[in-house]
Amino acid sequence: MTNFLQLLFLGLLEGGLYAMVAAAVVLVYKSTHVVSLAHGQLMAYGALAFWFALTVLKLPLILAIVMALICLAAAGWLVERIAMRPLIGQPLFAAFLTTFALFLMGDGIFQLILKGESNSFAKYLPGGMTTIMGVRLPTTQLISFGVCLLLFLGLAIFFQRTKVGLGMRATAEDHQLAQSTGITVRAIFSWIWVLSAMVATIAGIALANVMDIYFPLPMVGVKGLIVALVGGLESLPGALIAGLLLGVLENISAGYLDPLVGGGVKEVAAYVLLLFILLVKPYGLFGLVRIERI
Amino acid sequence: MWRPCGVFDATYEKDMAIFRTPRHWSALALALLVFFLLPVFGSYYIVSFLNYLAISVIVVLGLQIVSGYCGQISFGQAAFMAVGGYTSAVLTQKFGLSFWVALPLAGIFTGFYGLIGGAPSLRIKGFYLAVATIAIHFVTMWLLLHLEITGKSVGITVDSPVIGTFVFDTDERMFYIIMPVMIIMTYAARNLVRTRVGRAFVAVRDNDLAAQVMGINLYYYKLLAFFISCFYAGIAGSLWAHLTLVCHPEQFTLIHALWFIGMLIVGGMGSIPGVFFGVIFVRVLDELVLVFSPYLADWFPWLGMAPAAGLGMTAFGLVLAWFLIKEPRGLAHRWEILKASSRLYPFAY
Repeated sequence: MTNFLQLLFLGLLEGGLYAMVAAAVVLVYKSTHVVSLAHGQLMAYGALAFWFALTVLKLPLILAIVMALICLAAAGWLVERIAMRPLIGQPLFAAFLTTFALFLMGDGIFQLILKGESNSFAKYLPGGMTTIMGVRLPTTQLISFGVCLLLFLGLAIFFQRTKVGLGMRATAEDHQLAQSTGITVRAIFSWIWVLSAMVATIAGIALANVMDIYFPLPMVGVKGLIVALVGGLESLPGALIAGLLLGVLENISAGYLDPLVGGGVKEVAAYVLLLFILLVKPYGLFGLVRIERI
Repeated sequence: MWRPCGVFDATYEKDMAIFRTPRHWSALALALLVFFLLPVFGSYYIVSFLNYLAISVIVVLGLQIVSGYCGQISFGQAAFMAVGGYTSAVLTQKFGLSFWVALPLAGIFTGFYGLIGGAPSLRIKGFYLAVATIAIHFVTMWLLLHLEITGKSVGITVDSPVIGTFVFDTDERMFYIIMPVMIIMTYAARNLVRTRVGRAFVAVRDNDLAAQVMGINLYYYKLLAFFISCFYAGIAGSLWAHLTLVCHPEQFTLIHALWFIGMLIVGGMGSIPGVFFGVIFVRVLDELVLVFSPYLADWFPWLGMAPAAGLGMTAFGLVLAWFLIKEPRGLAHRWEILKASSRLYPFAY
């Protein structure tokens, strides 16, 4: 039983991280209808900026986080301005493939910066373990999970209560209608990329606590995309639920199936789940079902 | 179709010909002659690079059919290539079949395997399908790493093909297997896309609902596109395995699949010559980066000791983004413009 609880809690903690990455993808999709592969890179660079601020510039923790957020907000704005805006009006697939090109480019630069090393900042953060219901869990992961829940709460409030959030929701509904009610759709696009880059940064910092900064880190972005698809691309609650579901599923299936098949279940569980969900519910668990016309 | 002034088609055969003038035919003959004498005169480096190019061309041709013509973006091409390579390796090493039987069997088996990849395509499309093919990639790779018959993480070593006592054990000798296969595959693809099937693919790409309304069986044609594309990938995988003499999961990563998609975009979607432009452009770019990266590392020490992989990826990503934003129809479109304007020279139109 303890074993099961251990796997369950670890899964939930990990799922929270996936959910944050997925949230960044969902944000962009909701407003601009672009599915972004580039968020894996934004996340990795967020972690990198944080690491740089913390260990090279020796800034205090809070300031380091703020600096990473500012850097990545600028990066997100640049991505929208340089790569995404010229593609407005082009087929959506071109935008998708452009984010994929950005992913490749980011991956190359990431490798150039890392030079094959792996950077860890675990020793700069509070360590130690906390015991909940007889299960020992790393404190930093619990903090990250708390941050994740706060983040989703913050996003919910932002979308429900603020004017920019309302504009974003209107833009998500229909670009032309939003434009005709006086919302500057272009500005909203810029804002949404800035916001999602910041969300990705938070996810990256939380994730780099668990796995060090080295070259597979951007690949977690692909997992975030999968979570977003499972939850439904338009749905923020869907991202949270699917993220937690995926984390728990990965850990439990790895815990119980690995001894039977010789390891590695954790790497494919997500993909098997995705294929299954897409076959049963093609638009994800909470996605909008599109009715197509000719 | 554009043609030089004074060339008229009197028969249907002539109208359908790919090579239509004596000049075309003599250019073709000369090119083939130079090509097949190349291993005799050319250096080892050029021949091995051409082998690599030709195998990429076969893979990207398959991708062109499923993505460029049928509109179903597939990120699974590297995994399908792996399935082909492994099938060929298992058939020759474990079952003792000859390479000449294993090559087509690898293609056909991969084609049927690809039907699994195409199966979700009726219910889902667009990015959903693209991400589903990423999932298929990872599941396939996991299977290859964990099945007993595929040698787990060790992989399989493969023998060179033989005819009688002649062993195709060098790159120069493999050239004479790979090149004819590539030419046949190109010919098949070039013709396939202008048959009834090819036109159905284009209709599905342009608007699948409209295609269905016109009486095209969507599921059949989507699956057929996946079958054909995976057949190409399987053949290429088999050739690749017998060229490198080893089959290992590390040879077929998701990054490889991303490169194939990139070649397709640079070359231009929906064009068979575009495949050649794309493959050559991207591979030559990569090769140039490889050649120049040691100098760059000398000049800019902050790049680190071995910046080749990172630099290659960065350059590729930049080129890809530039093409998508500025030249979305790829090099093939530029080529058509160039052809038309050279034909009209010195007049503008």
